[in-house]
Amino acid sequence: MTVAQSLLEKTKQALEQAKRIDQHYHYFNTFCDDLALQQTGKPGILADVFVTIKDNICVKNVETTAGSAILRGYKPPFHATAVERLLQAGAIPLGKTAMDEFGFGSYNTNVGKGFRVPKHPSSPEYVTGGSSGGAAGIAAKATFPHVALCESTGGSIVAPASFCGVIGYCPTYGRVSRYGLLDYASSLDKIGVIGKDLILMAKTMNIIAGHDPHDSTSSTRPVQNYPAAIGATIKGVNIGYIPAFFDGADPEVARECRHALKQLEAKGATLQAIDLPLTQQHSLSAYYLLAMSEASTNLAKYCGIRYGGTDKLEGYFDQFFTHIRTGLLGDEAKRRIILGTFARMAGYRDAYYLQAAKVRTKIIEEYKRAFADVDVIATPTMPFPAPKLADVNKLSPLQNYLADVNTVGPNLAGLPHMTVPVGSAKMMPVGLMLTSSWFDETILFTLASHVEAR
Amino acid sequence: MAIKIGLEVHIPLKTTTKLFCGCPTTPSSAPNTQTCPTCIGLPGAKPVLNKKAVELALKIGLALQCDIAERFRFSRKTYFYPDLAKNYQITQYEVPLGANGKLGLSNGKTVAISRIHLEEDPGSLEHKENYCLIDYNRSGIPLVELVTAPILDSPEEARDFMKQLVNVLSYLNVYDENIGHLKADANVSIAEKNYTRVEVKNITGFKEIERALTYEIDRQKRHDVVRETRGWDAVKGVTVSLRSKEYEEDYGYILDPDLPTISLERQFIIETGKTIPELPRQKAERWVRAHKIDPVDAAVIATDRDLAGVYEHIVTKVDPVIAARWFRKDVIRALEGKPAARLNPASVRELLELVQRHKITDAVAREILDLLVKKDFSPKEHVTKQGLGAISDETHLQKLVEEAVASNPQAVADYRAGELKALNAIVGHVMKQTKGKATPDAVKRLVEEALAS
Amino acid sequence: MNDAIRRAATNARIALTEEEVERFSKQAEDILKAFAGLKSLDTRGEEPSIQPIPCENVMREDLPRECLTQEDALSNTPHKKDGYFKGPRVM
Repeated sequence: MTVAQSLLEKTKQALEQAKRIDQHYHYFNTFCDDLALQQTGKPGILADVFVTIKDNICVKNVETTAGSAILRGYKPPFHATAVERLLQAGAIPLGKTAMDEFGFGSYNTNVGKGFRVPKHPSSPEYVTGGSSGGAAGIAAKATFPHVALCESTGGSIVAPASFCGVIGYCPTYGRVSRYGLLDYASSLDKIGVIGKDLILMAKTMNIIAGHDPHDSTSSTRPVQNYPAAIGATIKGVNIGYIPAFFDGADPEVARECRHALKQLEAKGATLQAIDLPLTQQHSLSAYYLLAMSEASTNLAKYCGIRYGGTDKLEGYFDQFFTHIRTGLLGDEAKRRIILGTFARMAGYRDAYYLQAAKVRTKIIEEYKRAFADVDVIATPTMPFPAPKLADVNKLSPLQNYLADVNTVGPNLAGLPHMTVPVGSAKMMPVGLMLTSSWFDETILFTLASHVEAR
Repeated sequence: MAIKIGLEVHIPLKTTTKLFCGCPTTPSSAPNTQTCPTCIGLPGAKPVLNKKAVELALKIGLALQCDIAERFRFSRKTYFYPDLAKNYQITQYEVPLGANGKLGLSNGKTVAISRIHLEEDPGSLEHKENYCLIDYNRSGIPLVELVTAPILDSPEEARDFMKQLVNVLSYLNVYDENIGHLKADANVSIAEKNYTRVEVKNITGFKEIERALTYEIDRQKRHDVVRETRGWDAVKGVTVSLRSKEYEEDYGYILDPDLPTISLERQFIIETGKTIPELPRQKAERWVRAHKIDPVDAAVIATDRDLAGVYEHIVTKVDPVIAARWFRKDVIRALEGKPAARLNPASVRELLELVQRHKITDAVAREILDLLVKKDFSPKEHVTKQGLGAISDETHLQKLVEEAVASNPQAVADYRAGELKALNAIVGHVMKQTKGKATPDAVKRLVEEALAS
Repeated sequence: MNDAIRRAATNARIALTEEEVERFSKQAEDILKAFAGLKSLDTRGEEPSIQPIPCENVMREDLPRECLTQEDALSNTPHKKDGYFKGPRVM
């Protein structure tokens, strides 16, 4: 066999494995065999690295649905910038991973009409977490070299990564271009990575991060060297932990996280208790009000004319739009659009939308003050380990939202944050979340490498 | 005030590319060939602001004496319509680029301009029986929206406002005249109906403004008035109800998180202000003061930036009053709507010097003007070569007069019988003989003298 | 809340059954009650953070870029005719 043939063989095997896994676990919405084979053998830093792409990130000519029936059949005529960069670096994309519809969920149970709920990699009756459930699941299960490209708005990278026992990294807002990312909330969406291999994830970050003139909010700051940070010393690194989030967590979860922090202390980091009262009390409400307001405008474009799910052209335009949207959007999508519309309606806008934006300012100020004292903030990623699907189905929408209480803070403030697996609770993985200051990202890779090396 | 009219004018800007993407703004006949993911609203696409559009909008704001916002942002105005690619329009809501400006009307009134702001144009729709056809080529074209206070009190004033505005815009060279006339929406209400406000949309050009408002005011006087939006149908000459304003579409404005805050540096604003030329109104007023020409002549000539330029070149050598008279009537007429830029100012000056020194008659001058519009040449050389010099030698004229009198006995008899107009036939005979080169006044005098005896 | 939910749904072009109006309203009430603390926070003098990181004066030069072909623009919908998108009737 030639080198080229053996590489193609590897790709075929990876695809086969992914499809086998998918049959049981439902981690994929689409496979892109053709593109995978095309990319095989291309040189680059990510040559021989297989990637999966969350289904709200555009891959040219590959069905991109954001997990929604209203985008069934949509094939973008362009790549997202992050995808373009991965391909240029030689990465081999296998398929589009499952997610909550448009990112609207913390358990990946709010899938769109006709989509499947992904299952926890260790136990099929449990959920993966969301909204990047498919990404976290395949990252846990795959045995080939793999990084999952995914996205976070309120915690959608670290939540499923934590539940599934893998590493999840969400960079600073604006670090990675959002061009080609189907918008949930434009001021909150961030592209990041999930995987088991920290070095691969670091290499991937170096490839996808950096300014993009197509995205006005993308940062012009120079990109740090992520791989170089791995294994660096943590002597003198100041970690601030928030007791309230430990006390509010499942005791086993809290225990595992405390233990991990103690081990970091043994390696030279210092620990101190800190308090972020505004963030603790109000980040959830500020996040949801802003996210839903923005989402309700971002999703207005889905109306059956230019792309996606549609029907025969009947009735006046308002009737047609209503027919399409009502028929193809899932319950949670409708709820968030309606609540978001409400929050910005005349008469409510000041009390809800604008107020949430002002509270965000206060929360950002609170974080700034915290980072004057500490380098990194630590909390459990999720207050509990992955629950059973049957239990999640009993939850009210509000109870669903409450799962985000630990993760919304950094997401709202646009801070880089990472979850690292630190043990288990009730036989399910536990994650420790580390948050650093804006654009001060490599320290998280350093800390993560020390957590791994325990 | 018995009538209140406010205008919202949409000014397409003269940029190469659209407001938020690099698609061209030039009109294209093939639909949907000038689009990209951003202006066609594809999921995941993002807007990036066109600097030139901001500069042009700033120029308009400064020319209209607006307060320019130190910092401004864009907003999303969400509503559902097939021509709106994202079902929201990116516009400015909270803080517009400019506010509190003014523009003077020819009747001396100053119209307050509440605000000007930047926004993107939707695509274009063609209505069919059971469906519509949509072309997104125009989706994303940069517009400045200008809103006046409801201070215009007649259709004539509204028309004049549009005219004055177009004058200013063409001086600034910011407005894409290829698009055609400016589009406007008008808010109109009358005292007799308690100033219940009706919005009339989709009016194109200043002639239509006057027609539409005249119709609507008359309609309001004669029928019940409800708060609503109506559309102007220029073909049928009527306004038609579009939708009732009782349910106000709630646009649910949010500030657009995809776009930056724009903060214009004071220095940049000042520099831009310097690039604004003297505007028509000021120019005309200056001419009246300095040259003592007729204000109406001044206003008419100043309307056209290029024409004004030619005029200003000429008055260095030619009597402004003569120049003004010629420009107002004959130069404009000769141009027949073609751009004044095609005239060589030096040639026009040469021509009017000849007129001023009575070297040629007005009739000959007009003929030469008609030629100059088509091709440039030296009028002086042309006159010499063609022998077009005015015949004012009275001895020569006398002979021609005698000959004309002899050839028109009937006219002579009629004149002597009291029909004074019969003189024109005899004068005309001489003019014809001389191919218009005889000075008409001198001929008339000589004929009168001849017939008096 | 029922009325507000109805208005918001109409505004968003989503039709709700009466049962859904009831259910969504109840859920909305619960959610907004949980968020009530936010409303009473004193935010006088605070600027709203529309983005988490200040974004200023990002603009591009007025230079043309490649467009989509007409075919690509229309490629994702069956509703098209002679190069136009076909939309539902408006009049």
